[in-house]
Amino acid sequence: MFKQITNLEGNEWYLITSLWIFLLFFIIVAILIIKMRKQHSSYMSRLPLKDEEAKELLDSKK
Amino acid sequence: MQLETFNYDNKIVRNFGIATIFWGVVGMTVGLLVALQLVWPFMNLGTPFTTFGRVRPLHTNAVIFAFVGNGIFMGVYYSMQRLLKTRMFSDALSKIHFWGWQIIILAAAITLPLGLTTSHEYAELEWPIDIAITIIWVVFGINMFGTIIKRRERHMYVAIWFYIATFVTIAVLHIVNSVQLPIAAWKSYYIYAGVQDALVQWWYGHNAVAFFLTTPYLGMMYYFLPKMANRPIYSYKLSILHFWSLIFIYIWAGPHHLLYTSLPGWAQSLGVAFSIMLIAPSWGGMINGLLTLRGAWDKVRTEPTLKFMVVALTAYGMATFEGPMLSLKQVNAIAHFTDWIVAHVHVGALGWNGFMTFAILYWAIPKIYGTTLYSKKLASTHFWIGTLGILFYAIPMYWAAVVQGLMWKEFTPEGVLKYPSFLATTLQILPMHMLRAVGGALYLSGALLMTYNLIRTMRMGKLIANEPAQAMALAPVKVNEKSAHRRLERKPALFMVIALIVILIGGMVEMMPTFMISSNVPTITSVKPYTPLELQGRDIYIREGCVNCHSQTIRPFRSETARYGEYSKAGEFVYDHPFLWGSKRTGPDLHRIGKKYPNKWHFDHLLDPTITSPGSIMPSYPWLIEQALDTTTTASKIIAMRKLGVPYPANYEQQANADLSGQAKAIAANLKENQVDVLDNREIVAIIAYLQRLGTDIKVVEK
Repeated sequence: MFKQITNLEGNEWYLITSLWIFLLFFIIVAILIIKMRKQHSSYMSRLPLKDEEAKELLDSKK
Repeated sequence: MQLETFNYDNKIVRNFGIATIFWGVVGMTVGLLVALQLVWPFMNLGTPFTTFGRVRPLHTNAVIFAFVGNGIFMGVYYSMQRLLKTRMFSDALSKIHFWGWQIIILAAAITLPLGLTTSHEYAELEWPIDIAITIIWVVFGINMFGTIIKRRERHMYVAIWFYIATFVTIAVLHIVNSVQLPIAAWKSYYIYAGVQDALVQWWYGHNAVAFFLTTPYLGMMYYFLPKMANRPIYSYKLSILHFWSLIFIYIWAGPHHLLYTSLPGWAQSLGVAFSIMLIAPSWGGMINGLLTLRGAWDKVRTEPTLKFMVVALTAYGMATFEGPMLSLKQVNAIAHFTDWIVAHVHVGALGWNGFMTFAILYWAIPKIYGTTLYSKKLASTHFWIGTLGILFYAIPMYWAAVVQGLMWKEFTPEGVLKYPSFLATTLQILPMHMLRAVGGALYLSGALLMTYNLIRTMRMGKLIANEPAQAMALAPVKVNEKSAHRRLERKPALFMVIALIVILIGGMVEMMPTFMISSNVPTITSVKPYTPLELQGRDIYIREGCVNCHSQTIRPFRSETARYGEYSKAGEFVYDHPFLWGSKRTGPDLHRIGKKYPNKWHFDHLLDPTITSPGSIMPSYPWLIEQALDTTTTASKIIAMRKLGVPYPANYEQQANADLSGQAKAIAANLKENQVDVLDNREIVAIIAYLQRLGTDIKVVEK
């Protein structure tokens, strides 16, 4: 199966370069995730539920 | 900070919701019709406007751009307002977007049955409609970014990123794949030819699946699933990884649609490698969705919306596992051109897109009407009928694919094809096609049940056109946030630019060498431009949608060269604007059909396919004998082709119709010698000329 990647009559570098570009990109994204604080990710993950909470607040004022 | 009161626009959500239901029923009904046509040819109804070749693109366009498209806008307009805590930027733009999109759909529904098509799959609409799509898409983009800019929530939630990526990528795909040279109000030629056109089309085609059928739905999943389950998303960090990896990798995978064709080998391998890698982000998203239901699985038993969501996610997981597997060359060699591809597409469309759309409709319509769902029982019945429909659709198609794929490849001990007649393999799988139609009918019945249920729900409540809400005004940023991604989440313009760069990398790496390095498409000196009559015949072939059933690319397998002839070379297609390789073999490949049969065989076959091929399911084309060929367009077609690089001599357009007439007379005379009396100015003569030319440029003449 790996012949599909390595046996390209001299054009392997297209594929190898592309995979390196992805690896670099993936590492950058991974670093961004690692550096993100849990507090922020926890806040953001609850965001879809916030409008319901705001609506309940509004209804309770009526 | 001041608490502000504002309203959400629910009317636009309602409008897109109703359009989703209406076009969904229309698209699925047309789908059922085409399924029946593949079993009983009389279902083509004997008119040009209702034949399979014209109606199949109507079905695909209706379900993709009308049903799913309106579903996307419904979900985006609902969720975006709430996630950004603001009303849409402009009610006027929302209305223009809605009505503009419906007019585009209507234009498609009129032009496709008329045979006005570019032949590019999922991009069949002619250039005036392409321009309209561009304008309306820009309107949507302005409305979306305007809303993001006036938001009251500082950071954009993951759903919004998916919507941004959808907007920007679809814009790029649509523009690049729609560069055409118009020659009349409803006729144009792609500027790309052959291999290059194929690469652009499948870069578009694959990524239309990615960025129209997947990313907006993932965005909606990230909003609606937590709402339905009343649980936060399982992992926000995983969603970041999911988003960036998915949009980066997806764009590279297009060439897996062209394995074993004359596309350069390195481009095919890039497609294979990135397709396999695609499993990781796709399953990351699916797992993130399913794990959001942790602690809420008991609700799945009672809430129909969650039932639909679970099957939608499961179907997404299946389709995104199957896609990479089909990209492996060994698997692709057997499965490509068979019903496996149809099954694969429908697991995604019926399961992922359809079921999530149903879930959102069942969830959102009662909300915006301030009521509850009319009948949960009916919704659950819909769920089970729909699930059965998917199973009845997919399983027979997989079965048919394996049966037919193996029959195509089977040799006798003597070394000849065991099933040399293509038709024998088609007839073998007709029972499976019948079962597929049953599956489609079940799925459609479920959608009709939903329509009834939602109409009753709407009648029970009253539309809350302007839903009041409150949120704090957005304060200016005082502290520089340390996390780079967190900063990015509050900069929509920068976010869009980065997403654009990410999706451009793959396309550029694949396309630029194919377009700019001549060794990637070696020319063949014996390959000449089509004669004027063949060119006209080719356009009739396009108009009748023959490409929907017949491929024109022979792969370098013994089973294919034994059946069809020499395998196809890149240099044979350099004058093909557009390429017509196709993606499904309901009938045999036609690349080497030229000179294989006499003119009379083609005449009889087009008049009634069962004359030459008893039991054939191909529709009849009697109108080709009655309709006169329009030769007023010949000159403009020759001029257009010359502009696109086809080497017709200078001023040849002035002589073209004379040459056309000469060739037509010769074919008509040959037919007359064989007891067929037909006028030489009929369309059938042109299409015979084209078919007889196919693949003959490199045929070795026996001495």
